[in-house]
Amino acid sequence: MIKIDHLSKRYGDTLAVDDLDFEVKPGVVTGFLGPNGSGKSTTMRIVLGLDHPSKGRTTINGKSYHDLKSPLHEVGALLDAKAVHPGRTARNHLRALATSNKIKLSRVDEVLEFTGISSVANKKVGGFSMGMSQRLGIAGALLGDPGVLLFDEPVNGLDPEGIKWIREFFQSLAKEGRTVFVSSHLMSEMAVSADQIVVIGRGKFITQGSVDDLTATAKGTVFVRASDRQALSSALESAHAVVHQTNDNALSVTGLDSDRIGEIAFGCGIVIHELTPQRASLEEVFMDLTADSVEYGSHPRESPHE
Amino acid sequence: MSSDVTLLSVSRAEWIKFRSVRSTIMGVVVTFVLTIGLGALITAAVRSHYNEMDPLRKLTFDPTSVSLGGTLFAQFAVGVIGALFITSEYSSGSIRSTLAAVPHRTRLAISKLLVLFVSMLVVSEVACFVTFQLGQAIFSGVVPTASLATGVVLRSVVFAGIYLTLLSMLGYSLGLILRQSAACISVFTSLLLILPIVVFLLPQSWQVHISKYEPSALGQSMMSPTAVLNSFGATSALFILVAYVALMFGLGVTLLNRRDAGASQ
Repeated sequence: MIKIDHLSKRYGDTLAVDDLDFEVKPGVVTGFLGPNGSGKSTTMRIVLGLDHPSKGRTTINGKSYHDLKSPLHEVGALLDAKAVHPGRTARNHLRALATSNKIKLSRVDEVLEFTGISSVANKKVGGFSMGMSQRLGIAGALLGDPGVLLFDEPVNGLDPEGIKWIREFFQSLAKEGRTVFVSSHLMSEMAVSADQIVVIGRGKFITQGSVDDLTATAKGTVFVRASDRQALSSALESAHAVVHQTNDNALSVTGLDSDRIGEIAFGCGIVIHELTPQRASLEEVFMDLTADSVEYGSHPRESPHE
Repeated sequence: MSSDVTLLSVSRAEWIKFRSVRSTIMGVVVTFVLTIGLGALITAAVRSHYNEMDPLRKLTFDPTSVSLGGTLFAQFAVGVIGALFITSEYSSGSIRSTLAAVPHRTRLAISKLLVLFVSMLVVSEVACFVTFQLGQAIFSGVVPTASLATGVVLRSVVFAGIYLTLLSMLGYSLGLILRQSAACISVFTSLLLILPIVVFLLPQSWQVHISKYEPSALGQSMMSPTAVLNSFGATSALFILVAYVALMFGLGVTLLNRRDAGASQ
């Protein structure tokens, strides 16, 4: 379990992380979602004891990272796959990490085998593709068979086969009861690979919940085609719905569910040709939630997703 | 509290890292080539011109320090080896996985220092003893030679190796402070080459008091069997150089502990 306890981090004038406070629980994959520059990586670096918090603290299983008896046995992390000395072989990189934490060297071959890079283990890391580097990073994270795992944008640079592999891999880690904390700026990725999602923007906590929770909180719209658009439109508006006329002469209704719209139409004697609830995609929810916190937004900002 | 990440286990890990990159291997090869190769060139050149040398210089001629002349060039190679041991961690970003595995930063810095000390002491002593013996063999018959059987000569050769070792540790300490290879190598080179020039531009009365504190002047004192004019004795010079390294290393460790290590450079 990872606990982020009223964490703030200031770099000069920039408040990169602003009073974040949440927990990452074991047994599920928790997505850490936010636009680029929202403080995800900073938070992860602080959890790993690499950066010092300005305020607050982070703990892993109740202990600060610095106090872990054998860090690699408790926490595995992949922050930046390319952050390996390019002149060192994959095996030597892993051997050095293992040795520092008294992990037996046979484990190096195991993780190389598991991540599928045994054949390039004696090659220099500088020549690795992004996908191979990601696999090496994952191998390093697994060395100590830790109960807590952090991955910062692990999908970047992976091919479709690698992405599928990594999603299943995260799920299997979570099923074993581990804490899996995965950051991404891609909502679509999190929608398929995470169970729980923490959303942040500009360093601030925005919301937390399951993928279903998050889409449910979004204002759903209902798409309606009817015989008498004008009459239905005014009837719905008098029931406090917000009604927009779409391009193809249909109505987009917000504020009423499809059952209620059908009843109103029936009451007015209007024939309904189509009545389709539009479930907001996670992408749209994310855009709504973070619209105010995108650091480098493109303008105009008015409802860019409509 | 007890930790599985001990000074020994971290040192063993750092030893794997130290020997598994080409820059170290190249640095060691260059150290040998410069110390022994240039040492042989210098002694051969001195041998061929010895008879034309004026009698006063013949009187003060010191076959020990002349045969160790290659160390003046090798000192840059060992400095670079030391600096890259830490700056390459920053340039590649591997400092993050290193510190995630070893959160106790002082322990990490000391482990690296130990690995550097032991390995560079072996390399430097071998290089210095070989170049000394080779130099005496080249001098033999034409130029007066020195022998390791003489206490002060033996001390000079041993201290020459220690000088190179300490300079690699100085390079490493600068690396801890500066974190960037280029900046580190520039400062290191300036300390050894530019500083004496700057001091040379000062009034004569100051020079006498300042120049003996320069790292390169301390090296000269350490490698000379006899006292050098306006300089410290060999042992005092050794202690002063150790103090420099301790000071820089202390500053480096303080900064390592205080600074964020995560953000990309």
